[in-house]
Amino acid sequence: MNIELMGFSPKYKQSIAKKLKAIDITRALISVLLMSTLAACSVDDGSPGTPGEPGGPPASEISTLNISVKDVSFDSGVATVNYRVSNETDEPVVGVPSATYLAAQLLPQGFTNAGNASQWQYFTSESCNSSCDGEFVDHKNGQYSYTFSGTFNGMNNIAFMPGATQRIVIKIGGDSLPDGTDLPITNQHYDWQDQGSEPAYTRNLIDMGTCNTCHNDLAFHGSKYNEVETCVTCHNVDKVSNPGNVFAPMVHSKHLTGFPVSLADCQTCHVADETLTENMNWARVPTMEACGSCHTNIDFPSGQGHPAQVDNSNCVACHNPDWTMSAHSQADTDAVLGQFNVEVVSAKLNGDTVDFSVRLSNPATNEVYSDSADKLDFIDDLRVYANFGISVDYTTRSAKSIKLQDVEPISGSNSVYHYQIAGLTLSDEPANDKGTLALQGKLCSNDTMLANCADTDVTTTIKSSYQFYSATSITEQGRRVVVTNETCGSCHGDQQLNYHGSRNDLEQQCQLCHNPNMLAEATAANPAASTADYKHLVHTLHAGSRESYPDINYPGNIGNCAQCHTTDDSGVLTAALPLNSAVQPLAFNDNTFTSTTSAICSTCHLSDSAIAHMTQQGGVFKGTEADATAGTESCATCHGQGATADVLKVHPIQ
Amino acid sequence: MFRFNTPINTKLTMLALAIGASISPAFAEGYGLQNANRDKANTAKWECKRCVVESGFSGNISVRAAYNDADDIHFGNTSGTDKDGLVGSIDANLVNKSDSGYQTTFVADKLGYYTGSARLETGRTGQYKIGLGYRALAHYDTNAALTPYSASGDKLVLPDNWQTGAVTSQMPTLYDDAQQVSLSTQRDRYLIDAVYKGRFYQADINYQHEKRQGKRSFSGNFLTNSAMLAQPIDDSTDEFGAKLYFNGQGWLIGIESSFSQYNNDHSSLIWQNAFTPTFGAAYSGQSSVAPDNKAYRVGANAQLSGNGHQVLMHLGVASFTQDDAFLPATINGPSPALPVTSLDGKVDTTDMRLKYNSRPLRGLNIRASYDYSDRDNKTALNSYPQVVTDSYYAGTATNPEYDRTRQQAKVGAKYRFNRAVYLDAEYQYDHNDYSDLDRDRLRQNGLSAKVNYKISSAWSAWLKAEFSDRTGSAYNPVNTTSSQSNPYLRKSYLADRERDQYQLSVSYTPESAFSASANVRISNDDYDDTLVGLTQVDTQGYDLSASYLLNDDFIINAYLNQDWRDSDQAGSSNFGLSNWYVNTDEKSTLVGAGIDYRNLLDKKLNLGLDYSFSDGQSDTEVTQGIRSPYGDYFAERHNINAFAKYQLDEKMALRLDWIFENYQDSDWLNQGLALDAIPNVLIFGDLSHDYSSHYVGFTFSYEL
Repeated sequence: MNIELMGFSPKYKQSIAKKLKAIDITRALISVLLMSTLAACSVDDGSPGTPGEPGGPPASEISTLNISVKDVSFDSGVATVNYRVSNETDEPVVGVPSATYLAAQLLPQGFTNAGNASQWQYFTSESCNSSCDGEFVDHKNGQYSYTFSGTFNGMNNIAFMPGATQRIVIKIGGDSLPDGTDLPITNQHYDWQDQGSEPAYTRNLIDMGTCNTCHNDLAFHGSKYNEVETCVTCHNVDKVSNPGNVFAPMVHSKHLTGFPVSLADCQTCHVADETLTENMNWARVPTMEACGSCHTNIDFPSGQGHPAQVDNSNCVACHNPDWTMSAHSQADTDAVLGQFNVEVVSAKLNGDTVDFSVRLSNPATNEVYSDSADKLDFIDDLRVYANFGISVDYTTRSAKSIKLQDVEPISGSNSVYHYQIAGLTLSDEPANDKGTLALQGKLCSNDTMLANCADTDVTTTIKSSYQFYSATSITEQGRRVVVTNETCGSCHGDQQLNYHGSRNDLEQQCQLCHNPNMLAEATAANPAASTADYKHLVHTLHAGSRESYPDINYPGNIGNCAQCHTTDDSGVLTAALPLNSAVQPLAFNDNTFTSTTSAICSTCHLSDSAIAHMTQQGGVFKGTEADATAGTESCATCHGQGATADVLKVHPIQ
Repeated sequence: MFRFNTPINTKLTMLALAIGASISPAFAEGYGLQNANRDKANTAKWECKRCVVESGFSGNISVRAAYNDADDIHFGNTSGTDKDGLVGSIDANLVNKSDSGYQTTFVADKLGYYTGSARLETGRTGQYKIGLGYRALAHYDTNAALTPYSASGDKLVLPDNWQTGAVTSQMPTLYDDAQQVSLSTQRDRYLIDAVYKGRFYQADINYQHEKRQGKRSFSGNFLTNSAMLAQPIDDSTDEFGAKLYFNGQGWLIGIESSFSQYNNDHSSLIWQNAFTPTFGAAYSGQSSVAPDNKAYRVGANAQLSGNGHQVLMHLGVASFTQDDAFLPATINGPSPALPVTSLDGKVDTTDMRLKYNSRPLRGLNIRASYDYSDRDNKTALNSYPQVVTDSYYAGTATNPEYDRTRQQAKVGAKYRFNRAVYLDAEYQYDHNDYSDLDRDRLRQNGLSAKVNYKISSAWSAWLKAEFSDRTGSAYNPVNTTSSQSNPYLRKSYLADRERDQYQLSVSYTPESAFSASANVRISNDDYDDTLVGLTQVDTQGYDLSASYLLNDDFIINAYLNQDWRDSDQAGSSNFGLSNWYVNTDEKSTLVGAGIDYRNLLDKKLNLGLDYSFSDGQSDTEVTQGIRSPYGDYFAERHNINAFAKYQLDEKMALRLDWIFENYQDSDWLNQGLALDAIPNVLIFGDLSHDYSSHYVGFTFSYEL
């Protein structure tokens, strides 16, 4: 069915494809008929025919490729993998023009020596394009077979071990079907063993989705390989010449610099996942290869930095899973934080003062702390910040604060105590406006327990939180939510990124100070990179355009707004236009202003032509405050949500 | 059985005696002939009219000189001594009887060997008896162990010039400093006992002192490094016992008590670290040794019988104590304070037994019993600091109690259908309560049935079937271990289990020269709720034995015994469900034959020859997709034991003994391994045996 359809219009292609579908059905029927006739005539010719399942109409539109491996048949040591390729609606994909097949063998944990991790052994990588290393059969119904060029035993000098877990990876895509339909690059692995049963053991440590929470669509070697299960078939000691390129040490060492969250938490990448059988290997199978790739100051065999160890047999004797989990996860922190909760239970304006009360409790025991914060010996630091004027994105960049551990409450008893923060800058109509209280602090702790600060030097930072309030009460609704701790946490961990000591609520706390009252430098080439107003700060930080953070190497696709932006109540990404009315123009230190949308877009799109386009469409760059706020911007007409050049469409959002 | 000289036979008898004695020492008296129902028996007819008691001095003395080939001391387990070359010993069997009924005997066996014994006994038959005894016991393991350590009191020290290494291969003087050391134990037991029989009572007292010396294997650990050490053994046990029994028509009542005391000449074991310390200054290690301890026991027994009913009652209480001073938590650096200076340990046990037997109908016996035993640890619970292998402080731990209460009830009946057939059936209920284990309670129901069929005067057979089902309370893995158990693991001794056992025995004992017996057994243990752990054990076995009496002086016997045991275990390498499996196949074979030929050469020569072959092996294979068999683990022995005894004249005889043994064993744990083969374990080297040894002895005996 090698009909060249290039050069025809898409519509014509579709009609041809439909006809071809019909031809294919007829052919499938004929082949079924023929086969049954043959079967009726045959006496006993032994071998069964090729897979003859009815294929259904072939796929004409493909956005996703699914490869399902039916089986691996193993004849005299030569493997044949039988698989089916389909699209997102399970229609068979016929005529896949090329493929790569990788084969590797897994040695069980402890097999190569006591304490050693399970280990992949690379056999081969074979490809089919115009020619094939082995034998390739397209059964023309979505089913394919590939027979490797020879026996695995001896390939790459590796002995095939009966009973061992084997892996075959099929890579297809990156090219197109004969009708021109593009095939997305797809990797699919299949673990099997020669004894006919399920593999007796596996090495399922990490799901690629975990890598992609930060990296988006991670792919290597010309984007051909995009699954961790693919990487490990080659990145093992039997394939790569540099031990640093064995998968675990390679990945560990690649993340040593610029990692957006504490390296000490192995579970940032080794996320707890019960569906991955060896998910807890990071704590249960310590080896000098895995541990030494981060602890680079240790030379185990010579005893530098650690008592001498010639192999991995002893590691777990000291570094047992409990120890490792305690040292290398958030478990202790979570246990400590589980014993303390602080919340604002009431707040209201009293002139330019906010009156509020705070309740302290222990969620682990469901009991309250009856004393106020200044009397509790485990509180190292507990601060409340206040700002007002949500309608204008806050009235000041200098939020007022008090330290609860140092002040006596005005009144209160039995866990609820009243405090005041005075000197707020009020907005024009305080009665119709709102403010925010933010909480932050540190607790003294010992392993998993809260401890008297006099007895320990260890502190655990609490997760900062916020509470909106109006002139009369605390309120559910307040400042718009643009990014959340969860979206930030996809790379930075759950409120694990601390600034200025213990501020980690990236959703609302930072904005109490990092607001439009921060000024940009009038002379800056990229003004957004010179202001600490939150939106500009965050955009320019991640784009690597701030001088003070020259080494930022954004791990994902910077154009994927959804990596950080959340969705609003109606499910629309908060990166959409038009902007919320509270968003203020970018203010410069020479008292000039850039209009809101233009200020944001030009953070990244700062070429002359882009600036010219924005100016032509009503954008104001470094104008008067009146001009910048006059509402001349018409960006949303074309780039607004649902419009032809919707911001959400033109960015590679996932 | 016509065997005169078969070691197996002797062993079995000894074992049976030992088992009988240990299970119910109190009741042994109750089943004696004197307690039989002899109301209607005419005991006058039992008098032995031909038995003439000869008074005066009689007996024999033997002197033995032998050549013993003990290059490998393991042969000493067979020959009785590990001394290489010429060895000598004495046997004696002397009796002096007076007309008034006094009798003194002296018996000695291989006195002079490390396994010799002697006993002097005097008394008046049926009235009193006083005995003095000595018995030596020895066990020889190996003399090929290699170690750089030498013993000095409680200490095992390395040579002055020893250079430590991080791993064994980095210990430069290891091979120069390694010396052979013997691992064996020698026990010398001294006894004194007396019994006095009154008209309706009997009193026994006995005292035994046992001294033990030798060396055994000990593992000296420093975190992940370990050295195999030859730990010196120098200890003694004193036991004192007394019994007083009263009996009358249809009743027996008695009390008994015992006291034992253990003294260890060593107060600890201190050894130098052959490795470079992993942490800090762990240059020496100290381990506690068995502490001095005491045990007291008092028991009471009563037995009532009459009209076909019999009731047995037993109550015993015992107390075990030890209050040795604690060693410090570590000898390397300051030791954390201990909460108390001594454990002051005390464990009390109570055991009770009630048993009822009755014969309500002709041919029907019924029985019921209830057993109760309780272990109550009364030691104070404290929080003790733990310094792991004298290296680092690892928090505190509380001593667990491990209390246990066991109750067992049995109901059984035996019905005799006719002279040839009877059926015996029993139901058992076993109830156990534990503390500090993964399960608080275990219950087991069991049923057994046995049919005996006496087919003819020569042929008889029996078939026995047993079934038991064990279950218990919820399984909650203990959290007192530093690393938690796999949640699916079921420890085999606490796991649910179904057990089937069947046994068939056939014997042929005609009133003719040939007799034989056969026995077949099969069992299956199914741990039906275990996903990780021991899942199944199957055993099969059979015995065959036959003897043929050619004439009054010539006997041939032969026997063959084989047993198989097949165990399956499931494990997990990822703390989840099982993903690796172990199969262990064990097999033992014992085959032997012997002849005894007596009264040759004008009744002057007796000959005996026994040959036996035994082979035990264990094959373990781990399967995790890939099959990985373990190495060799076996012991194989050929043994020939022959003698010729020639009567020189009426008084003197000469005997020649020849023992030959070909023995091989090996354990993959150390098979073919050099001292530094394992980086973090300093081992004794290869401890396999492979020898062919002879013992040739000449014995001159004189009949007094």
